[in-house]
Amino acid sequence: MVEYDELENRMILKLVYYGPAMSGKTTNLLQLHDILDQDNRGELTVLDTKNDRTLFFDLLPFFLIAPSGLKIKLKVFTVPGQVQHDATRKAVLQRADGVAFIADSQLTEETNNFESFKNLEQNLDFVGLDIEKIPLVVQFNKRDLQNIIPETDVTDAWEPTGIPVFMSSALLGKGVLDTFRRLLELTYEHVDRRYMLWDKHGLDKSKFVHQLTMRSDNEPLHEGI
Amino acid sequence: MTTDHIIGEEKSLKEIIKDIDIVPLFQDAVSAGVSGVILKDSSGEVLFQHGNSPEGTDHSADIPVKFEGEVAGNLVITGDRSSKYLVDSIGTIIHDALKLILKSRFKSLLASDTHETVIQQSYDELLETNNKLKLSEMKYRDLAGSLEKKVQERTDELKKAHAKLLQQEKIASVGQLAAGVAHEINNPLGFIASNINSLKQYVSKIKDMLLFYRSAFEEQGLTAGDRELSQEKWKKNNLDFILSDVDELVRESLTGADRVRKIVSDLKGFSHIDDVAGADIHVNDEIDRTLNILTHETPEDAEIIKEYNELPVIEGNAAQICQVFFNIILNAFQAKQLNLKLRIRTRHSGDHIRIDFSDNGPGIPDNITNRIFEPFFTTKEVGEGTGMGLNVAYDTVVSYGGTIDVYSVQGNGTTFSLVLPVKAGMNS
Repeated sequence: MVEYDELENRMILKLVYYGPAMSGKTTNLLQLHDILDQDNRGELTVLDTKNDRTLFFDLLPFFLIAPSGLKIKLKVFTVPGQVQHDATRKAVLQRADGVAFIADSQLTEETNNFESFKNLEQNLDFVGLDIEKIPLVVQFNKRDLQNIIPETDVTDAWEPTGIPVFMSSALLGKGVLDTFRRLLELTYEHVDRRYMLWDKHGLDKSKFVHQLTMRSDNEPLHEGI
Repeated sequence: MTTDHIIGEEKSLKEIIKDIDIVPLFQDAVSAGVSGVILKDSSGEVLFQHGNSPEGTDHSADIPVKFEGEVAGNLVITGDRSSKYLVDSIGTIIHDALKLILKSRFKSLLASDTHETVIQQSYDELLETNNKLKLSEMKYRDLAGSLEKKVQERTDELKKAHAKLLQQEKIASVGQLAAGVAHEINNPLGFIASNINSLKQYVSKIKDMLLFYRSAFEEQGLTAGDRELSQEKWKKNNLDFILSDVDELVRESLTGADRVRKIVSDLKGFSHIDDVAGADIHVNDEIDRTLNILTHETPEDAEIIKEYNELPVIEGNAAQICQVFFNIILNAFQAKQLNLKLRIRTRHSGDHIRIDFSDNGPGIPDNITNRIFEPFFTTKEVGEGTGMGLNVAYDTVVSYGGTIDVYSVQGNGTTFSLVLPVKAGMNS
């Protein structure tokens, strides 16, 4: 549900990183914050007031101006993964334009992944969004650890759904940008269909994605695993 | 309740930064030697200002203030030409401080907004749950209430159906009884009539013989005493009267017996005990038959005007149709005992026949007109009427696919109009 203010020529897009507790949603955002050029983004706001765990959520804003002058603000949120913070998850999920589901690859976390994805389905339904239509990517994080679910199992399980799946190690910065980039592409396609970003605003997909994923020259590139 | 629970709504600089954060900073800057500090938002509106305005000053530093990656305003520091370095340095310091202020203010704003939103959302959810519970409770209450009513309605219907069955059974058994009685009467009546006929012949012969004896006796040689004795005995026995009356007597008896025979025959006909269902019904004949049965109920001076027209036969059970006529005519008879005029008119029109029973009785009060066809509705004293008569008539007519209507003007008579389809498919 894009917020579009025609008078102000402004559009606000909202992406949400969803997933079970401790799966690495905040780490994803921290990495994006470090990797990406600060000209196109704002500061990362981390509401982590308790035990370094996300009590509320994190917010990483991006900003770009389309050739037409349309100002687009992209807000990337994480949700608190802990089961008890469901009300916050619902609130954050309101009007989301795209979702990245960050799963924990560890074998011990399979149940939590499943429960969290079910919770995502329920909450999307609760806030009036259709999981079949909303741009959605899945990331299996923590590939650097031992005792993880084999990649073939993940592919076998997810391929039939048509949902893009990425293997990552957010801690090492690997796979984070791929996930983000794919989510941006899907979100662009979704938004373009309705708001004609190309036809009306001269903003094509590659430019949109490129501008939001420009690497910072000052920061060292994280090469993982 | 339609509160939207949105987190991370757009905030302007004005909403985020407070006087208390920025004013001391600007004051310190001016104390440190710059001539003025201004913070504007992206539209150019001045949000905070301390010291001189930039007009006429030698040097100014204009630093864009970014928020969430977007330029949200500008920080303008002014001073004279000689203090260019100071202006730029203080500008950098204030800008850095401003970024920190923005970050911490925004964070606490976001936290409190989130807290409020989540609490509000949970509260709304609770309210909604509560409302749903209330609604469902109401629904169940309604259901419970209407259940009782429905049970009562069904019970009433059952009671009525049961009473109707009883009534129909009663009518049927009365008919059977009448038919049985009629049959039993027919036998003795047969020999009474036959005997009276024989008696009539016998008496005529006895009379003939007696008159012959008398004339012979009185003309031929009898003693005067005998003659006198004979005349005296003739007179004493009132034989003149007897001889003249005996014929009348026998004739009346025969008429009486004939009337009894006719009554019995009508009774049998009325009960239609021998009929099969689906027989042809001659409506005019059935009305006559019903009137005959009701002879004893007919007020003495009643005037019954029959305006019969030729009718096609209708198909059905004559006993039921007679019962309808019976109930309507009896009501008319009971409504007016003196100077009753009852006009019965039958007509055939298209695919239906119409029968009007119009009396000059007192009419039906307006307030009960719509109730007279209800079962058990009666204006008669307890024990006199069952309240079933018109209900049975109504149900019967409806079951023939017909209609029954009542037109009544209080004090000015009542008309019952029956319309029956010619090709009535009788359904029972």
